[in-house]
Amino acid sequence: MRLHLNLLSLAIVSLVLLTSMSSVVASQDSLGPKITIQQTSGEKCILPPEEMRRQHPDLLKHDRIATLREGVRAKADGGKLDGSLKQCVNCHAIKDDSNKYVRIDNDQHFCVSCHKYAAVSIDCFQCHRDIPEGGGDFHTLSNHKGINYNAVVPGTYNLTVQDMANIVPEGYSDDK
Amino acid sequence: MTSNINNEKQAEITSAETDSSRRNFVFGSIAAAGVTIAPGVMLYQTANARSLSDFSLKEGASSKVRWGMLVDTTKQVDWNKCVEACNKEHGLNNETHSRDDQKTQYIRVVDVKNKGTGHSMSLPVMCQHCESAPCVDVCPTGASMKRDDGIVLVDRHRCIGCRYCMMACPYKARSFVHEVLSDQKENTPRGKGCVESCNMCVNRIDNGLEPACVEASNEAIIFGDLNDPESKIAKLLKEFGGKQIRADLKLNPGVYYKGI
Repeated sequence: MRLHLNLLSLAIVSLVLLTSMSSVVASQDSLGPKITIQQTSGEKCILPPEEMRRQHPDLLKHDRIATLREGVRAKADGGKLDGSLKQCVNCHAIKDDSNKYVRIDNDQHFCVSCHKYAAVSIDCFQCHRDIPEGGGDFHTLSNHKGINYNAVVPGTYNLTVQDMANIVPEGYSDDK
Repeated sequence: MTSNINNEKQAEITSAETDSSRRNFVFGSIAAAGVTIAPGVMLYQTANARSLSDFSLKEGASSKVRWGMLVDTTKQVDWNKCVEACNKEHGLNNETHSRDDQKTQYIRVVDVKNKGTGHSMSLPVMCQHCESAPCVDVCPTGASMKRDDGIVLVDRHRCIGCRYCMMACPYKARSFVHEVLSDQKENTPRGKGCVESCNMCVNRIDNGLEPACVEASNEAIIFGDLNDPESKIAKLLKEFGGKQIRADLKLNPGVYYKGI
């Protein structure tokens, strides 16, 4: 029985060795290291991935002119997605192990992961926001259209979800 | 009622398409309104001004509109409330290394005093959104621009940070970002090396909302379409008048003041 087990483990080890060697050989044969593109929400983008990879600079440039200079805020191709960098960031934001969005200085950031590989250095995010607004699991307190500034008390503009949780007494519920 | 409004709009659009001259367009639309609106409804229809949501710009900014503001300085309002709303909306005042006089301001609160009478007051001064804007004239790259609806703003994609527009602006409305910024608002991208100024909350206007300072001002600032005689701002200006700051420069600013 013991001999049998030994043989089996030997076989497994040799198999692992073989496969690892063959993968090394294979990667030497290919054109270079492969890139791992971060997977995000999984919903459909405005174009298939192959086309987005090639065309996204032109699409963004077109939309930035239409939006800023002409004031067109239409959805991209009449779909439900905005044709804006904001929309790109909102869908493609990557979270790290601690469930926080990674910023532009992190190699895991969706844009950076590919741009670094392709040695592209562009400066969108010197001005544009690099992660969605609102942290992690919560969105900012808003109607998703714009903040309402009616009846605001000076000094309380920065109320967050956490602040609200602290303000509302424990055990308070609308149900009673 | 709504179908009437739609009909009127449709008539306006078709008349604008068919009539080439402005004169024909004006008379054409008046005739169309007379046909489509029943007697008695007329008064209500004409009193019903075009609302902001009519211009939720799916087809872009239109030169039929001229956005403007009327600031009532006689109302006792803490203008800092407007400044704070502005800072919140655009994520301003987040510089860490700049001196106070280098930090970006979209709205400045200016205190003035007449030494003769001793009368003093304060007023908010932001980009005045001039019709013939000097900042647009002098910009070497076309970054400083005026949208078709009269909003003057900076296209940061083209701005090279030469600050010529800051020198040209008689209202001292523009600021320059001196340091690397992070954590910008997603609706207001801003960064080092670009000039910036009040953009009349263009992102909010395009979404059918009023500018942040207007909302926070408790109706001390009225926002609306100066070209539309039925809008609240046009009626107030017609009835009470309003002054433009440095009107002698003949820049025709879109921001009017009452009580200065």
